[in-house]
Amino acid sequence: MTGLTGILVAQIVAAIVLASIFLIRPSITAGPTGKILAFLGLFVLPALCLVGGMDTQVQRSEQTRFCTSCHAMVPYGQSLYVDDASYIPAAHFQNHRVPADMACYACHADYTIYGPLKDKLRGVTRIYMQYVSKPPNPIRIPGGYNNNQCLHCHLGARGFEDNPIHSAVMDSLTSNQMSCISSGCHDTIHNVTGLSHVKFWRAGQ
Amino acid sequence: MKLHEMGIRRLLRISSALVILGLLVEIASLLWFHPLAFVLFVFVGASLICLGILVYLVSLVFIAERPSGSEKSP
Repeated sequence: MTGLTGILVAQIVAAIVLASIFLIRPSITAGPTGKILAFLGLFVLPALCLVGGMDTQVQRSEQTRFCTSCHAMVPYGQSLYVDDASYIPAAHFQNHRVPADMACYACHADYTIYGPLKDKLRGVTRIYMQYVSKPPNPIRIPGGYNNNQCLHCHLGARGFEDNPIHSAVMDSLTSNQMSCISSGCHDTIHNVTGLSHVKFWRAGQ
Repeated sequence: MKLHEMGIRRLLRISSALVILGLLVEIASLLWFHPLAFVLFVFVGASLICLGILVYLVSLVFIAERPSGSEKSP
């Protein structure tokens, strides 16, 4: 438990204690002090706990181990350790081109103002597949992989912009008409169906 | 005890119970690191807390709408 989560839990416990008073003796709200306490215990503190809880849950769901804690995502987590630089996610993860503890989120998030929340709500359908129906194998992204996920880092970077192949098709890339990963250029992605035949990298070796 | 006050107290009790339940669910979701914990928080915990707050606000409306006849007699 991190420090901020600890503070949030302490705040929740305080809110529970205060709310319990009104559960046991609601008559104390007859006086002005009771009314103020009721406002704090049944409105202010619960609302703060709600906001803090939502923030913590959204932040936590951006972590790599959160995504790979779902059974269907385990092979995708393993693919980050493939010892082959042609595997795009593995190369990004192992070389820290994306934060290792937020590897999934770095390439699978909608970078708009409501991006993380929108993604998590979309992720709820995955949980439905996991526990109610059956997750597809391999998992496909609805609508395909958007180039913006790559370009929000690579666009403007010297190595990317100076590449003559990239500059020749830049308009098609930015308009998402040509996919970075399925147009024959960077097409080795997670490849979870072939993981039994590849060598894995172990950090620190 | 007047019927009106009983109504307010009942609403406060319901509100407290909902808020406490929601907060307990929130604690459970914080201690459990799993995608289902996110669902638990968003769909159960947050809903209970919001409902609790809503019931509390309704009880405030009850107080504001107290009929003049129910004031303390001298």
